[in-house]
Amino acid sequence: MSSGVFAIHAKPGRTTALALSWFLFAAGVGLYFYASALRHRDNPEDRVTPTLTQMARGMYDAVLHPAEDDEPLAEGASWMETVRHSMLWKDTKATGIRFFASLALLLPAVLVGLHMGLFPYMGAFLLRFILFFDKIIALSLLPILFIAFGIDELSKIMLIVIGVTPTIILDTFNISRAVPGEQVVKAFTLGASDFDVAYRVVLKQISPRVLNSIRLNLKAIMLFLFAGEMIASTDGLAYRIALLRRHMGMDVIIPYVLWVALLLFLVDFGMRWMNRKLHPWFHEA
Amino acid sequence: MITSLQAQPLIQIDDIHVAYGAPPKTVLYGIDLEIQEGEFVCVLGQTGCGKSTLLRLVLGSERPCQGHILIEGREHLRPDRSRGYVPQKYSLFPDKTVLDNITFGAEVGEFSLFGCFTPRYFRFRREYRAQAMDYLRRIGLRESDASKYPDQLSGGMQQRVAIAQALLTRPRILLMDEAFSALDPGTRKEMQRLIRELWRDTGTTILFVTHNTQEALCLGTRVIVLAKESPDSGSRVALDLRIPQPCHEEEIPRLMRKLERVSSNFPEADPQADEIHAVR
Repeated sequence: MSSGVFAIHAKPGRTTALALSWFLFAAGVGLYFYASALRHRDNPEDRVTPTLTQMARGMYDAVLHPAEDDEPLAEGASWMETVRHSMLWKDTKATGIRFFASLALLLPAVLVGLHMGLFPYMGAFLLRFILFFDKIIALSLLPILFIAFGIDELSKIMLIVIGVTPTIILDTFNISRAVPGEQVVKAFTLGASDFDVAYRVVLKQISPRVLNSIRLNLKAIMLFLFAGEMIASTDGLAYRIALLRRHMGMDVIIPYVLWVALLLFLVDFGMRWMNRKLHPWFHEA
Repeated sequence: MITSLQAQPLIQIDDIHVAYGAPPKTVLYGIDLEIQEGEFVCVLGQTGCGKSTLLRLVLGSERPCQGHILIEGREHLRPDRSRGYVPQKYSLFPDKTVLDNITFGAEVGEFSLFGCFTPRYFRFRREYRAQAMDYLRRIGLRESDASKYPDQLSGGMQQRVAIAQALLTRPRILLMDEAFSALDPGTRKEMQRLIRELWRDTGTTILFVTHNTQEALCLGTRVIVLAKESPDSGSRVALDLRIPQPCHEEEIPRLMRKLERVSSNFPEADPQADEIHAVR
């Protein structure tokens, strides 16, 4: 069969391709609500597969009411205050702060990787140790971290740092090693110093690739963050998901999972947009 | 004046020996050269004969196992401002516009990493840009090209910018490594004319590495052929030929045959072979 739907040379039309790309979404949603409807026919109080109205009510409560373990909202609060005291907002804020704090801590990792790639003594000093560190499964360190740093913010951020930093360092190291030697020599012949070469030539050149590498590691960051939050936390999106599991609160868990996916998508999209704006010269190979 | 320059050549290559790898494989040995100020030296040889290695030694990005390279009587152990460099590829910074590429040398010369935030820096940039624009026009670029990124330019244009970038810091020596080898023949001819012109105007000493005999002959005032004596040995200077200036067009075919024979048959080359080639 040289031509046909499954051939390499097949050319689906625009509409067909669009329809195909949405097919699994539609099928998933359809299947869920079919199963939900079936279960609700047997038991109208079913909590495992909440209907759309149940989920909407759950989220409505999450957006407009403080969490059960939080202090109740003062009477006659304005709309803004209501949202700011709501469960969803507080959870998102707590997770967001941890997320961006660990993103900020990745900046030193990028600089370490850059220096390792450029300065042979730095590379010789650090490379073997970081390769070793990279192989340690960060989650297995969690008990040690809780013992060493306590169960507050620090241990959660340390978990992310330990889990993702070696990857980012090694990525940056490899990316900066891949910069052609001609560029470094050229910069020297134009009178650049070592630090000019590192920051004005190489760092500028590798930054779009490094940003991409961080983008690809977003999921790992979130994974470590969620693990930390589920095990030891009193707020945050993952804490809420873990807590509601005990109450079988699927009407909130499912929207929360989708909300996290949406947030991660937005961060990813923002970073891609930033990459394009900051580095118009960069074309992905 | 001339005699004093003769006494101390600009570049003095002193019994160089280079070997790579383990076990060491000799690449160059017994290279002795003196290059005077203002010469246009073409280094010619087949692929893998070590001509780029020789250039990197002069550049200072590599060190010989034995021997010294003195530039103005001094050993330079790393690349610096006294020697400009135009490689075949990656000659421009891809993240900088054409204008930023050209002014990079002046910027790092004047301002340190943190100096780029002072008002003086912006004033300097404005003034220097006008000068850089002039230079761009001189090497045949349009004003609209100044804000483009290197990969938006053709290969020939990129090399034009790279030459301008290297010459704007006024090095005494310009090192070019197969700088035109990736260009199409028409562009290559244009670039050869341009570099000859710039050489005459600026008086820069140029060391030009190429594998193209014709290019070496029509550019250089002196052609140095590197060749191996046997497949396992390193390369030596097989021929050091001064080209009469100006070089007559009709001379070129004869010189070309001579050079190609030396390059491929070293060390058996004998003067009789000239006629045999001519008969063929």
